[in-house]
Amino acid sequence: MEAILTECVQNSLRHFMYRNAIFMCERLCAEFPSETNSQLLAVCYLQNNQAYSAYHILKGNHMAHSRYLFAQSCFKMDLLNEAEAALCPPNESSAEIPNGAAGHYLLGLIYRCTDRRKSAIYHFNQALSLDPLLWAAYEELCILGAAEEAATVFGDAASLCIQKQHLPHGLGSKSMQASAEDQGLISSRNVGAEDLSPRHLKNIHGNSQRDAAGNYHSAPQPGGTGSQPLNGGPTTLSFYSTPSPMAAASQLSGVAPPPICRNMQINGPNSCATGADSSPRSTVNSTIQAPRRKFVDEGKLRKVSGRLFADSAPRRSIRLATGDSVANTNSNVSTVSGNGTNHSSKYLGGSKIATGSVRPVTGRKGQSWSNENFDEGIKHDGYDDSRNSSTTCSSPSSESRSLDQEGPTSAAGVCLSGSRVAVGASDLLALLRILGEGYRLSCGYRCQDALDVYVKLPQKQYNTGWVLSQVGKAYFEMVDYVEADHAFNLARLASPYSLEGMDVYSTVLYHLKEDMKLSYLAQELISTDRLAPQSWCAMGNCYSLQKDHETALKNFQRAVQLDSRFAYAHTLCGHEYVALEDFENGIKSYQSALRVDTRHYNAWYGLGMVYLRQEKFEFSEHHFRMAFQINPRSSVIMSYLGTALHALKRNKEALEIMEKAIMADKKNPLPLYQKANILVTMENFDGALEVLEELKEYAPRESSVYALMGRIYKRRDMYDKAMLHFGLALDMKPSATDVATIKAAIEKLHVPDEIEDNL
Amino acid sequence: MAESSEGEEEGKLVGGDQQLVVDDDLCEMAKKAAWSVSSCKPGNGVLSLRDDNLDTYWQSDGAQPHLVNIQFQKKVKLQLVVLYVDFKLDESYTPSKISIRAGDGFHNLKEIKAIELVKPAGWVYISLSGNDPRETFVNTFMLQIAILSNHLNGRDTHVRQIKVYGPRPNPIPHQAFQFTSREFITYSTVR
Repeated sequence: MEAILTECVQNSLRHFMYRNAIFMCERLCAEFPSETNSQLLAVCYLQNNQAYSAYHILKGNHMAHSRYLFAQSCFKMDLLNEAEAALCPPNESSAEIPNGAAGHYLLGLIYRCTDRRKSAIYHFNQALSLDPLLWAAYEELCILGAAEEAATVFGDAASLCIQKQHLPHGLGSKSMQASAEDQGLISSRNVGAEDLSPRHLKNIHGNSQRDAAGNYHSAPQPGGTGSQPLNGGPTTLSFYSTPSPMAAASQLSGVAPPPICRNMQINGPNSCATGADSSPRSTVNSTIQAPRRKFVDEGKLRKVSGRLFADSAPRRSIRLATGDSVANTNSNVSTVSGNGTNHSSKYLGGSKIATGSVRPVTGRKGQSWSNENFDEGIKHDGYDDSRNSSTTCSSPSSESRSLDQEGPTSAAGVCLSGSRVAVGASDLLALLRILGEGYRLSCGYRCQDALDVYVKLPQKQYNTGWVLSQVGKAYFEMVDYVEADHAFNLARLASPYSLEGMDVYSTVLYHLKEDMKLSYLAQELISTDRLAPQSWCAMGNCYSLQKDHETALKNFQRAVQLDSRFAYAHTLCGHEYVALEDFENGIKSYQSALRVDTRHYNAWYGLGMVYLRQEKFEFSEHHFRMAFQINPRSSVIMSYLGTALHALKRNKEALEIMEKAIMADKKNPLPLYQKANILVTMENFDGALEVLEELKEYAPRESSVYALMGRIYKRRDMYDKAMLHFGLALDMKPSATDVATIKAAIEKLHVPDEIEDNL
Repeated sequence: MAESSEGEEEGKLVGGDQQLVVDDDLCEMAKKAAWSVSSCKPGNGVLSLRDDNLDTYWQSDGAQPHLVNIQFQKKVKLQLVVLYVDFKLDESYTPSKISIRAGDGFHNLKEIKAIELVKPAGWVYISLSGNDPRETFVNTFMLQIAILSNHLNGRDTHVRQIKVYGPRPNPIPHQAFQFTSREFITYSTVR
């Protein structure tokens, strides 16, 4: 009965029938009380958004999975202390974090929410190393500003890891190899691969791996992540610690290692090689597979394998590198072929695999290790190699042959799936690499670089909501609102129900003063999801554009209520408070935003502006500087930093920053204007006039430019020019205050300055 | 600044708007000010002047002139005073002669504007600007609206709402002039 009930509950969960699941599960727990069953009940409640129920059920349970679920429910209920204690009991510091990568990720989130940045970073990194496909962890690292380059994170090691996960047996290794080959494509990966390959080589062959070793050595180790030690040609199947199934196979592999190794080697340089390897492996049968798997698993192996073909390893790697350009797999093939020559006979398989599409190769590899074709033809090589290798593989080892016999087909099958996984993993990782790099760069506000990276994505990936909204955000940070508008528009077309990044879109429209579009966007978002903070942010921006700051504030406060961890909502609240001249609350809002996300430079900027208005110039300068450190490319922040310095009478520094700002963004007139202001204070009237003339060209209808020029001319006693410019300034329809000031200035034209009422 | 719809004759204001329409570059300045009145009937106190409800009114209860005092926390620039009064509803309670005074405190108030209302029915705009462009704004700590007499010689007065407007501060602090062109405004803030 227990089994039936469990099955029923899980079925209901799968089909989202939560009421049924909960009811049945309760019966289950009552009938057979056990921790597993209560875990299941907790899962039902969590799925049904009743975290509090799960909390009560799981309280006090100690099984790893229970602790994880308990932590999840605490996190949802905002009881971060308990969540942390559950995942990482204080008195058992050596306890294993439950659920591996997921547990580390959750723990990282908790640390982030409680401001323990270092621990958070540590745990996110752990999570990523355990599960390289945990993109969310990488995202968090980027947001914290501590992410490594995407290439290393989503590199060979990752590929090996994935392979291991997806291929229960040695296949994993193969896939890894394949993936490694793919990896090889990327130079960074190459390094890894190289490392791996030597290692793999060693492991695989053990003694017979001379070739491998040779390759190993010969193979240029771009990154030589220290896999070098493999040179010993150790028969270290143990090297392939990863694939345990391999261990089992290793016995067999012992038999066939040599051939495998060779193959591996051949494939070495190219990730393709791994592909090729896989095929040979298949032929080699389980034993071979074992070693190969290890090889493959290492992912790096692929690269290594490329290297294995050491002879041409360098060439191969280069080939790989060039070949990679498009298809990871393919490159391998080419390289493989190169190496193959050396080991031609043996490494047939290896080389082939590397080249060309791993997938096709893998398929073929199984068939034959025709390493012979070491031509650069990526795809072909692989196939040939595989064919050759298979043959060669079989030849070298009689024992392997025997093994082969047992499992050629199975091996082949295994190889195939292995290579498929490898290929799949490498493709996926390649994709993640680009996305990861792009996201990391845009979090570091290197927007142009991020845009360049995103452009490398294949068309169909690029046209997805997430990517397009990232592109839009990048343009937004570069103050290119028109392009941002365009990108966000496409994003909305691609995924009209996605709310990610729509708050930024609403700000873009706010800046462009497109009130129609903005109100339409806000209405759409609200109708899509009334409970998302982004919708209310958009609504608030709409009201703010119409200068109805009180309603805007209400909307932003609603957004804050919906999700207090949404930093931008707090910042927008702050902006509205400041517009309403409620500086105290404004400061509080900005500080809440910073509590959520210290790298939210808008909040730093907001605080700087408040202090500037309150004439607390020291504070203002400090805050602008913090904002500047986070986003050193924003010309607006630089110009405000300059203004603050100017107010502190540090004119030289102010001018320096203004120059930087002008250089950073030619289209921004503000730093030029501020520069003129500073020059006026420094009594460098000619300089100021020069700058203002330049500005006149850029923005001919800007009244403040003429007004300032008028003022300067007045100081220089050039009354006619002053009169002219004041007149022009008035023509540009400035605000009432300015009209008054300018008219007053005109009246007092011939009166000395001391009496004048300057701001 | 919109004047009453019926035009103006030398200090006389006729008619009144039903809708309050104010320029975009003006904003209400007296939200944080201290409001007080010379006298009031219980239930019709000073709060009714600021509650945005045109049905509630302030009713004075003493000798003329009836005073509404507005004290600001710091010197502010003011440009416009708007009153809602309705002859049809209030008849003899409707204010007729109004004097607006400004100064630093009760001790040195000086009259800056004198106006006479003739059967007003709605929002009445009283501009505080002088003729000189330098006098567009009144820069003051305190404003006093004195109701000197009512229609039909009534003793007490009803005023339904009072609003005080001044120029919007420059959104960019520490800046002499406000930006007008799109290029400047786009780059002028980070949101």
